[in-house]
Amino acid sequence: MAEPQPSSVQEGMDPEGPLPPASAEDRKAAAAMSSLETRGGDEEAEAKKSNNKQIDQEALGKAISRLEQTDKAGKVAPGDTTKKEKEKEEREKRAKVKVDQADVSLLVEELDLTKGKATELLKAHEGDAVKAMRAFVTATV
Amino acid sequence: MAPPPSPQMLGSKERSLFTQVVKNYENKQYKKGLKAADQILRRSPNHGDTIAMKALIINCQGNAEEAFALAKVALKLSMKSHVCWHVYGLLYRSAKDFEEAIKAYKSALRLEPESQQIQKDLALLQIQTRDYQGYVQSRRAILQQRTSWRQNWTALAIAQHLAGDLTNAERTLSTFEETLKGVPPKTDIEHAEAVLYKNVIIAEMGETERALEHLDAAAKNNPDRTSVMELRANHLLTLGRKEEAAKVYRMLLARNPEYRDYFEGLQSALGIEKSDVKALKNLYGDYAKQNPRGDAARRIPLDFLEGGDFREAADQYLRHMLHKGIPSTFANIKALYPDTSKRDAILELVEGYAAGEAPPVANGSAEKQPNSDKDLFKISARYFLAQHYNYHLSRDLNKAMKYIDEAIESVPESVDYHMAKARILKHYGDPKKAAEMMEEARELDLRDRYINTKAAKYHLRNNDNEAAIQIMSKFTRNEAHGGPLGDLHDMQCVWYITEDGESYLRQGKLGLALKRFVSISSIFEIWQEDQFDFHSFSLRKGPIRAYVEMVRWEDHLREHPFFSRAAISAAKIYVKLYDQPHLAHGSLINGMNGDHMDSAERKKAEKKARKEKEKQEKAEAEKKDKKAALDLNGEPKKEDKDPKGELLLQTSEPLLEAMKFITLLLEFSGRNIQAQQVGFEVFIRRKKFLLALRTLIASHALSPTDPITHEQMFRFQQSLSKLSEPLSPKAMQVINAEFNTLLPASTDLTKHNDEFLQRNHNSASHVQGYLKVRQLIDPSSKEKNQQDIIRTLALDGSSLEDAVRGLDMLEEWKAESRYKDDYLVAAHERWPEASAFKQKVD
Repeated sequence: MAEPQPSSVQEGMDPEGPLPPASAEDRKAAAAMSSLETRGGDEEAEAKKSNNKQIDQEALGKAISRLEQTDKAGKVAPGDTTKKEKEKEEREKRAKVKVDQADVSLLVEELDLTKGKATELLKAHEGDAVKAMRAFVTATV
Repeated sequence: MAPPPSPQMLGSKERSLFTQVVKNYENKQYKKGLKAADQILRRSPNHGDTIAMKALIINCQGNAEEAFALAKVALKLSMKSHVCWHVYGLLYRSAKDFEEAIKAYKSALRLEPESQQIQKDLALLQIQTRDYQGYVQSRRAILQQRTSWRQNWTALAIAQHLAGDLTNAERTLSTFEETLKGVPPKTDIEHAEAVLYKNVIIAEMGETERALEHLDAAAKNNPDRTSVMELRANHLLTLGRKEEAAKVYRMLLARNPEYRDYFEGLQSALGIEKSDVKALKNLYGDYAKQNPRGDAARRIPLDFLEGGDFREAADQYLRHMLHKGIPSTFANIKALYPDTSKRDAILELVEGYAAGEAPPVANGSAEKQPNSDKDLFKISARYFLAQHYNYHLSRDLNKAMKYIDEAIESVPESVDYHMAKARILKHYGDPKKAAEMMEEARELDLRDRYINTKAAKYHLRNNDNEAAIQIMSKFTRNEAHGGPLGDLHDMQCVWYITEDGESYLRQGKLGLALKRFVSISSIFEIWQEDQFDFHSFSLRKGPIRAYVEMVRWEDHLREHPFFSRAAISAAKIYVKLYDQPHLAHGSLINGMNGDHMDSAERKKAEKKARKEKEKQEKAEAEKKDKKAALDLNGEPKKEDKDPKGELLLQTSEPLLEAMKFITLLLEFSGRNIQAQQVGFEVFIRRKKFLLALRTLIASHALSPTDPITHEQMFRFQQSLSKLSEPLSPKAMQVINAEFNTLLPASTDLTKHNDEFLQRNHNSASHVQGYLKVRQLIDPSSKEKNQQDIIRTLALDGSSLEDAVRGLDMLEEWKAESRYKDDYLVAAHERWPEASAFKQKVD
């Protein structure tokens, strides 16, 4: 039946057209090359493209200032208002909770948490370590 | 990526030299760059920017430590240089400490707010670390620097979209569109893609009505017809405009009549209930008629038809498929097997065909072959039956063997049939014969990569790693670094590396096994890293919908079953290393279990193993010397310093190493009970009782009667009662409250265990769990346990895997050999072909 393939022939090899990068290193090199190519060529190409695209420079100027205005206006969309307010309330409530540093250390030790996460968890449970840990061990899957 | 030069305090000659250094760095001419840098430093030895560039180049040459030291010197000399800060960030970035890199970039930006390169580098890291808010800010800054590039606008929209701010994402896209003077030509792919992207965003906001309007207005000439139609059908359906939706779905089906989602869409558009079998039957019947060669319209009805209707449809379908001898027929049908009545009906039909009761009706097939037609039908039926009896829901291996032998006799050159036979042998529990059979199949078609791969896998199952890599090498680039195995790593051939690792694990070669599983983990890391290429590439080339999908996919990357499979095995090895530290050195004792030897014997064996190892290493070193290892560019290759994973084994903190896997496992595969269970093993050894409890609660929620969880609960209880120092009162309070719901403190453990047996006495794995716990509660019951475990072999439902596990339990208990012999005899009787019980009997 079929003969074994000579070692130089690979599956899917295409005599014409470039070979796909064969090793991870080649791939990296290819990626690096393409990024090099673009660094130089990109700007020119883009500049040409933008001319072709009939971009109205004046309109662009206006557009960007409009964008800045909406940024300054607080960029709150009408639909998001209630959600964001609720979150804010929640955050303020949490900020007020006092947390015992000993409890933070306990959570860090017992639950493999970072200090920040442990504090957050305690604040979410009115600073009650037992409550916080109970919630943590049961909140699975 | 290099920072632009800021050559303060340099003479004009040095200034041009500095530009040269930057250029050399960008073009990877590291040696030239270093030379030029040194030249500058001779004149002005305290020039921070030059020292920083030197550090960057040294880092690229692979010397990270020296680079960091040098970069710090540079920073001290010029704290106010953005170049130094930028380089500092780049070094952290290449060390993958993204947090520190972001900080350094930000410092650089404060000094040089106009630098686009730093801004871009910062943005890249922010999206990579999913700091969406930060990314929005960076993208806005980049946009303001260059407003005429569309990709900058799109990038801001993507940032806002990912940050969950859909409204502004849409506004950004629209703002740019409004600056266009006319409608861009059809050939402007970037525009076409941006339009569809905007449509997706509008739809995600839930404003379907507007999304539909936008689609109809803006996407008329969009070159991505399929997407436009799919979106349109979807929007119409969501809006309840069913008639129009149905029309679009029918158009989609005309383009691709095999896509199930379209059929489902059409079903709901037509308002056909899942229970309205008659209407469904008509619908699919029409499509089957329109498209006589199609599969979907014939196969889907088998899912919902019942009784006589099912039988009739299945008969037609099977005849059609078997008539043509389509090898994947069974694979296409087996999804129906959980329904026993359908399974029975199919079996009856195909057994009928094989017996040749009813002559097959030619099913309108044009390519009818004159004579062999009827034979092919019968042979295909036998092949189907072999697969049927080999399938775990309908297994009868002797029958399967009979049918496949008949099929092979008729068509001795069929790769498929030999492959099926190998699978049957595997299920008999004889990996050696199975591998031989797969090899036979492979030799029937040496050019077929699929069967080649299959054969390699079967060799691995037979623990013959050498043969496996030999076979793989027929399709790998063998001149790659590390030979075929190196190429398989480069090509990220995850299945092979996993199977190879599991094979070494079975052989007790823990180092090599661990090495493979760690490789899998780093491949997943590379996949995470690969995103970097796309953050900029996708914007440049424009496939932004695919890009957003990719970003979301990456967030769930570690959920992949290949990751959890390797991670679970790796964590188990680390647990083993913690329990038996001598394995880190003694695992070379030919896979033997060190447990059985007393210390003198072990020492002797270890010494012997060490000697052998030294000899081997010497031989290998000589081999290496002969072939001076150079890669394609003539540069020395990076040597793998630990090809056998021995350094991995010698970790002093196996449990902390295990945590690298456990953390990801529990975060991404929490619903995998094995992940929870191996997590328990690590936590209980680390004395992290609350975390161990957490895994117990999770396992229990996943499967309340799991035998391993049953055992782990007892061990948890035991560890608590044997604490050397008491837990903190608060932790104890948590345990009392939460563990109580699983196993109340007042429970009579023996009674509880007995009840567990009562409820599950027909399942071998549950009986094993019961026996393990009995042994834990009362070590004097060992005698009885050793006898009782033999009885699990006689249970109806017990499987080969159960029986092998039982054997492992006897090993664990260090049972006397007569119990093991009895067990082996009984097991051999039930599974006569299984090699696990065979050799030891002879």
